[in-house]
Amino acid sequence: MPFTPPKESYNGKTFELTIGQGDKAVTVGGENVLAFHAFEGSVPREPAVAFEVQDMPPDDWPETVAEVFKNVSSGPVTWAKYCQDSLGAGIIALRLVSTHPDRGDASADQAAETVRKVLAAINVPLIVLGSNHAEKDAAVLVKVAEVLKGTNSLLGKAQESNYKTIVAAAMANDLKLIAMSELDINLSKQLNILIGQMGFDKEKLVTDPMSSALSYGLEYTYSVMERIKLAALAQNDATLQAPMLADVGMFVWKVKETQAAEADLPAWGSLRERGIEWEAVTATSFLIAGADILIMRHPEAIGAVKKFIADMEVK
Amino acid sequence: MALTGVEIFKMLPKTNCKKCGQPTCLAFAMKLAQRQVSLDQCPDVSEEAKQKLGEASAPPIRPTVLGSGELAVKMGEETVLFRHEKKFVNPCAIAVKISDTASEADASKVIDDVLSSEIDRVGQKLRINALFLSNDSGDGAKLEALAKLASTKAPAVAAIISTTSPDAADAALKHYSGKNAVLYGANKDNLEAMAGKAKAHKATLGIAATGLDELCDLTEKAKGFGVADMVIDSGARRAGEILRDNTYIRRSAVKKNFKPLGYPVITFAGRDDSMLESLIAVLGIAKYASIVVLNSAERWKNLALFSLRQNIYTDPQVPMQVQQNIYKIGEPGPKSPFLITTNFSLTYFIVSGEVENSKVPCRLAVLDSEGLSVLTAWAAGKFTASKIAQFIKESGIETELETKELIIPGYVAILSGSIEDKLEGWKITVGPREANGLPAFLKARA
Amino acid sequence: MLIIGEKLSIIAKRVREAMLKKDKGPIQEIAKRQWDEGSRMIDANIGPAEDGGEELMEWMVTTIQEVVSAPVCLDTTNYKAIEAGLKVHNNEWGRPLINSTSNDPERFPMLELAAKYNSQIIGLTVGKGGLPADAEERCAIAAEIMARAMEYGVPLEDIYLDPLVLQIATSQDHAMHVIRAIKMFQELNDPPMKTVVGLSNISNGCPKHVRPILNKYYAALLMYNGLTAAIADSHEIGEVSKTIDVITGKTLYAHSYLEM
Repeated sequence: MPFTPPKESYNGKTFELTIGQGDKAVTVGGENVLAFHAFEGSVPREPAVAFEVQDMPPDDWPETVAEVFKNVSSGPVTWAKYCQDSLGAGIIALRLVSTHPDRGDASADQAAETVRKVLAAINVPLIVLGSNHAEKDAAVLVKVAEVLKGTNSLLGKAQESNYKTIVAAAMANDLKLIAMSELDINLSKQLNILIGQMGFDKEKLVTDPMSSALSYGLEYTYSVMERIKLAALAQNDATLQAPMLADVGMFVWKVKETQAAEADLPAWGSLRERGIEWEAVTATSFLIAGADILIMRHPEAIGAVKKFIADMEVK
Repeated sequence: MALTGVEIFKMLPKTNCKKCGQPTCLAFAMKLAQRQVSLDQCPDVSEEAKQKLGEASAPPIRPTVLGSGELAVKMGEETVLFRHEKKFVNPCAIAVKISDTASEADASKVIDDVLSSEIDRVGQKLRINALFLSNDSGDGAKLEALAKLASTKAPAVAAIISTTSPDAADAALKHYSGKNAVLYGANKDNLEAMAGKAKAHKATLGIAATGLDELCDLTEKAKGFGVADMVIDSGARRAGEILRDNTYIRRSAVKKNFKPLGYPVITFAGRDDSMLESLIAVLGIAKYASIVVLNSAERWKNLALFSLRQNIYTDPQVPMQVQQNIYKIGEPGPKSPFLITTNFSLTYFIVSGEVENSKVPCRLAVLDSEGLSVLTAWAAGKFTASKIAQFIKESGIETELETKELIIPGYVAILSGSIEDKLEGWKITVGPREANGLPAFLKARA
Repeated sequence: MLIIGEKLSIIAKRVREAMLKKDKGPIQEIAKRQWDEGSRMIDANIGPAEDGGEELMEWMVTTIQEVVSAPVCLDTTNYKAIEAGLKVHNNEWGRPLINSTSNDPERFPMLELAAKYNSQIIGLTVGKGGLPADAEERCAIAAEIMARAMEYGVPLEDIYLDPLVLQIATSQDHAMHVIRAIKMFQELNDPPMKTVVGLSNISNGCPKHVRPILNKYYAALLMYNGLTAAIADSHEIGEVSKTIDVITGKTLYAHSYLEM
């Protein structure tokens, strides 16, 4: 019996977005179908994975992931170079944790200096993230944006409460920008509209609908991502056609499942594999839901996710 | 296509006899329209109505049971493509492969692992659901020996017998007669004989096709041979093929009501690399498999896959709920702040996240309010002064606190006096309305 | 369409303070204004009212009916408060409406009150925990509520089915589910079942200037699909209600129809 595949085609298409420069630049997006649905449309780019690096030692990361970087994590430059040169990172995501008022309260100038040094040390694209303290991020990212001028880096994250200054800084220095809302597709759309109303080019935007971890709200992120992708494609909604970011590592490596010893919970199995698996499974779910850029921590989890992406290719 | 409840109601006897277990024929019709009951529960329905309704009330993906007894799982019955549209109904079964070339000791070890795979997650008991017994040796006697071992050691665990030999199937299935096993391996060369064996042992027939064209062909032929229950495999093995075929199958079934593909899907995730295998299983769970077959089931992997299955199959209309309890954030002492909120999981995640951000150790009481957020719960009478007071009293928390002070969400400031009346000796403090006000609020107190 | 004035709600600060102080002034002023704007029933929402609910509802009903010749919609989860309100309700201007029963066993006794006091009652089509996913689920619950009402001796003509309007800002797809449910509810009985919505919930959480727009257009769509009654701001939707009644031929047109 000949079977006619029920293909779906959509009017909309996501924006292609490039970060970094030269032959190391990375481009994502540009597809006119749901994630990995190359069988019924065009998926010109693979999702990209960024390695997370912090501007201070990872003293709150569990052993499984902290030990990987123990010889390099005393400073962001050695850490970033290790990710690029030894682990093959295609993108570095530098998180300015030390600027948080509770984590050292480093000044905006100090943060800018850190970014300058990391930029000088690497040649892959850079994502620079604040400490998720809305007020402080606004001050820090303005300074950081000046240092990033001309590098085509990705800056984040702009939120409802601080977007004005950060958007202005990204515009003035010709940077790409992450807009984050908290697990609400309507708020995501609203923030993207507000940013657009400031004159920011919608094709330079990345939407972060907010991540979560497996067992800790994963289904919310998953469904918000699927809905954003469907609105972008089926409703041709230009405010939701930006590539999506999943900031996975920071959510995964704080949950009990990545920290509890096997001796305490034998039914949960090996702590090391469990932690890596938690990050890989969380990340893979978001890829299936439509994420274009992942920020992750453990190189083995990243390796597994890359193998998954390769397995998705059909010759 | 599907009839509305009222259209169905018109064809029912309208006697309100209650023999179906529903209070009225109208209520029965409404449930039938939603496929929550089946037509044969009505003893008085006319033949004519049966014929008309039978077709219309048949779910787009045939409901099928895997296994028997308490551990049996339902498959099929899905009606949507995306979980935000309407809940995914029957969580995907996870099966582990055992080859009949494995030694008895190795096979026994896998069976033991499956038997001890049960994990309690948020009040649900989750486990590996089936053994996939594979006739890799090509020797019927070996498959039977394996089936005998598995059915003896793990009589309650469902089996999928995988072979292309009808005779081997017959011998192995004897150990699973009447237990809703799956006989997997029916192909274009052996279909009729395999169909006969499946029927003889009341097993579900597993179709092993090479492509969707052939799959449609085989299910239609099997139906012709009198087989009703099937699970289907298009032959997809690479992740990209699995996504493509499972998507086409689900779409055909639920959007076109295309019967040849209206059966539960079996997806093979097997890889030598165990972690990669788990990620292929993630794809199967998210994208429409009813059974995912694994090569290995380490505990760390089980925990992750069970959790994912639970997340994906959560009803988007029934908010995930956190268990009623008093949770410690950081290491609170007797002087640490004590807060209360509702058990809507998103409320809990956001409130506990903001408390963490504040770096102020706290106790957070979570009251069972049926998964509603604060204001909604209050309006619905689920987050009231007396419920809060009763919970706090029964928790015995006051022995751990130096001062009996409870911080309530700003949205229910109106309750503060009433709680104070009901909780003698307690001071009620009104906190911020939104969780993002908590860090500043808590730090100002510290 | 019957407009049930929504303004006497404990959620509003001015009303809450008046309730606490038992100050009749603001309550009667608001009730009268709603009547003038076209409300023909007044909702008295006293919240869960665990303490002193009986006394409060009694006071609300008499306070309202002192100045307005309209029946009252008794809005609380407190069973005893409803009964207290029913006892003092003046049925001369129409029968009261209990808000509400549902498929949650905690709310079943409300039907007992409806039967005992010959009151009308709202049947909210939700069960215990979780929201109905679509129009079909709402209908299934409606059928159960109807069956239960018959057991308790409440005639189906006295039930207003409420499909539960959800916020468009967070549950956009439910806006259409509710419209479909209103249509389908009517088919559940002959004569058609009566229907009611808590209209302004559609725009709950939306910016202030958007709210009346959403409320009005939504009311028009619901009325077109046969909605019997709405708990709403009569100031906001009086005009919509009259206009749609003219367009759908429920009232005879005259140039001054808006003034009637």
